[in-house]
Amino acid sequence: MKRLISVALFALALPTAWAQDADSGSVFADVLYTSKGHALKNVMVTFVDGKITAITPGATAGEDTPRGAALTAGMIDLSARVTYSSTAVEQTNEVEASLSVAGALDLFDPEWLRMARTGTTTVLTTPPDRNVVGGLCAIVKTQGSTDIAKRQLKGRTFLRGAMGDAPSSGNRPAWGSPNSIYNRRPTTRMGVEWEWRKAFFDAAAAKDYPELEFPGADVFRAVLSGNVTLYVQAFTAIDMRTAVFLKEEMKAEGFGDIQMWLDGTAEAWKDPQLLQRSGTGVVLPPFPSNGYSGEGSFFAWFVAKDLDQRGIPFALSAHGETQAGRTLADQAGRAMRGGLEFEKALAAVTLIPARVLGLEDRLGSVEVGKDADLVLWSGPPFELTSRVLAVWVSGETVPAASTTPR
Amino acid sequence: MKLFPKNLSAALTCMAGAMVLATPALAQAKQAIKAGTVITMDGEPIQDGVILMDGTRIIAVGKASELEIPWDAEVTDMPDMVAMPGFVEAHSIDGTDRSNESLDVVPFFDVNDSLNPVDFYFEDCLRYGITTINVQQGNDTVIAAQGAIVKPVGKTVDALMVMPQSGIKMSATPKRGKSRATQAAALRKAFFDLRMHLEDLVDQKRQGLDTSRREALAQGRDYEGEDAKGRKMAGKGWVVDGLDLVPRVEVDEKMAPLLKVVEGRSKVYFYCGFPADVHLAIETAKINGFLDQTVLVLGGGCYKAIDEIVEAKVPVVLSPRLVYTETDPITEEETQTFEAKVFLDRGVPFALASADSGMESLWFQAALSVGQGLTREQALAAVTTAPARMIGLEGRVGVLKAGADANVVLFSGDPLSVRSQVEHVFVDGKQVYDRSKDPRLKHLFEGQRPAGTAVDEAAADAGRESVEGKESKDKDEDK
Repeated sequence: MKRLISVALFALALPTAWAQDADSGSVFADVLYTSKGHALKNVMVTFVDGKITAITPGATAGEDTPRGAALTAGMIDLSARVTYSSTAVEQTNEVEASLSVAGALDLFDPEWLRMARTGTTTVLTTPPDRNVVGGLCAIVKTQGSTDIAKRQLKGRTFLRGAMGDAPSSGNRPAWGSPNSIYNRRPTTRMGVEWEWRKAFFDAAAAKDYPELEFPGADVFRAVLSGNVTLYVQAFTAIDMRTAVFLKEEMKAEGFGDIQMWLDGTAEAWKDPQLLQRSGTGVVLPPFPSNGYSGEGSFFAWFVAKDLDQRGIPFALSAHGETQAGRTLADQAGRAMRGGLEFEKALAAVTLIPARVLGLEDRLGSVEVGKDADLVLWSGPPFELTSRVLAVWVSGETVPAASTTPR
Repeated sequence: MKLFPKNLSAALTCMAGAMVLATPALAQAKQAIKAGTVITMDGEPIQDGVILMDGTRIIAVGKASELEIPWDAEVTDMPDMVAMPGFVEAHSIDGTDRSNESLDVVPFFDVNDSLNPVDFYFEDCLRYGITTINVQQGNDTVIAAQGAIVKPVGKTVDALMVMPQSGIKMSATPKRGKSRATQAAALRKAFFDLRMHLEDLVDQKRQGLDTSRREALAQGRDYEGEDAKGRKMAGKGWVVDGLDLVPRVEVDEKMAPLLKVVEGRSKVYFYCGFPADVHLAIETAKINGFLDQTVLVLGGGCYKAIDEIVEAKVPVVLSPRLVYTETDPITEEETQTFEAKVFLDRGVPFALASADSGMESLWFQAALSVGQGLTREQALAAVTTAPARMIGLEGRVGVLKAGADANVVLFSGDPLSVRSQVEHVFVDGKQVYDRSKDPRLKHLFEGQRPAGTAVDEAAADAGRESVEGKESKDKDEDK
């Protein structure tokens, strides 16, 4: 607190010239939810050059200061499927670990702006699951430079792949002579899993047998040594198990201890012990209206509350949906409908994903020194009756959409 | 315990009174619902309110401190809950088996024949607090079947029925395979055919060709009732002179429902999927004289036709997609229009529509509308009183007041909060839904771990133990 006040005084002492900068300014809210369990009243948050410089509770709003009922940190979607087209993944190989989706992102896509407007300020983008291992993921903010080198926060930290139906869907065995690229890919769950194991075994064995070396083997070795996190899509309980067993098999073989997060785990509630045992975290898919999620999985509403009570780390995702009522904020609301407390729901879209990304020092909470990724709300966050009034990404205001009917 | 009131002498007096009254009243006893808040949709919400019901009707609504609860009323006391009138769906194509029809013009069909009372849709309606639904044929049509207003309770079509033949669906949006021009031509032809038919009937009568009457008499029967008489044709658009010469029963059964429309005796739900369709709908309604019976069922973006809608003075059912997003093709600038606000500002009565039969139901749409800029009162009206007026049941549904149907929904809290749930639903005075006894919702909220896969009993996990411990304790309490 002492530090907080001293910084606040320092900020007040500054000349006001910086207020003109695009990535500096201040915002006032009736309540600030810091994501660290604090709710501060009548708070002025000031930021300079994209970083939060002061948090002053009990302040009074200036006339020009943007003002709202609540302020939170910008939300983070770990499974924002933006640019989710077939051109964002190289399909000629089943296992393509050497490429990164960063090279396939269309930073001019209007979806980025739409996502930013709904309060999602940072995303983990994955290659679409059209082969078994799609490649490296990219962590980017939803607004900023259109140069991917500047926009990407961190590279080579997540390797994406999928279990289940997605990598084999559309594939077929060749009858007679092969007539399509889709003749040569796995057509079953077993085939998908075999590709995974082959990649890990080859990558591990290539130390002694160089002929087994393949492009991207180094990434698999980085996964085995825990330097790159494995991020696996697994909607159903059976796919969840396949992924966890793979991790355990690699450990049993002495190849290494894999850091793993599962994505789209609608059926996490069916086998929470497995997740506890293996220390695996999960990213939940959007809450469906009628219970059914991807690949025929059943997504019970209480799942977020259940995972929380069992101490299993989890984050929420909207899969990049920006339609009113289905945004990331609305997913947090739906998790609350299933019994999750507000603070836990807030953490699941801010602090926890920031931790998963290894960017806790910059993102995920409202604290002095962190990035000025902020969302201003008209009422209690995550309620349908509230809306996002304004969003800042790295201190820059996200331009609002025109609401004048045309 | 309720059978033995404390004040015995009062009870005896009442019992004497009850004996004088017809005894069936006891079968549908008086009921009282007490709730922490009662949102009546007829004035300010009442704190600590009570709703008195007698049989299927509400007889009084007021403050618990001011309204005396009859001694023989069964009392449901929910001090922590919020009572609302059941929501009203002004237009739905759910609850039917195959909602579209391949024939173009079928006003002689009736949605009754495709209603499926055991459709999960009706269960979902209760789960999300909808108690009145105007079911219409699908939008892929020219002139569709007659719809029906139903309640989501009952195992037969008769049991569901609130109002049969509640109105006819028409579409100004081209049916699959049609162009806009052929759709317009098909609409005009349907009314032209009706007119020709009626004129033929009159001509035949004037020429003394009374074949159908003679045929009936030859078969040993005669026309009966109102329809045996001729009636002068009513109609604000056009009339056929001399129709009073023709007994109404002689009008072709396939045409009769459309005659009802032209005479202004039937509602019309006119679907306009695009702004360009609004003109055709209004023109058709105007020419054929049923504009004041018309409700427009709109697709996204139809606010663009607002001037024409305002001039026509027709109410509208809004697109379930509340925010219409449009990107300028040149500047790529995005416009997000919350359509309800446009209609509100221009004074057009509007109702909201559910986006799906699950979570994104009327309460969800109302809550989102508050987020987008309606007041709570406006949003709630758009799912209760406004649709009730549109479907012709004003004062009967969508409101809690004396004389209204006893359709009451009890929410665990603010009806527009994501955290609130529908706990109890009363339809026609009967409790028809209790969340604690809803196995499907339990499955949706609590899942159901398949045997042998989930729980390792010996797992020494504190979090897990506390959960399991609580569950088993709850079970014990149930015993």
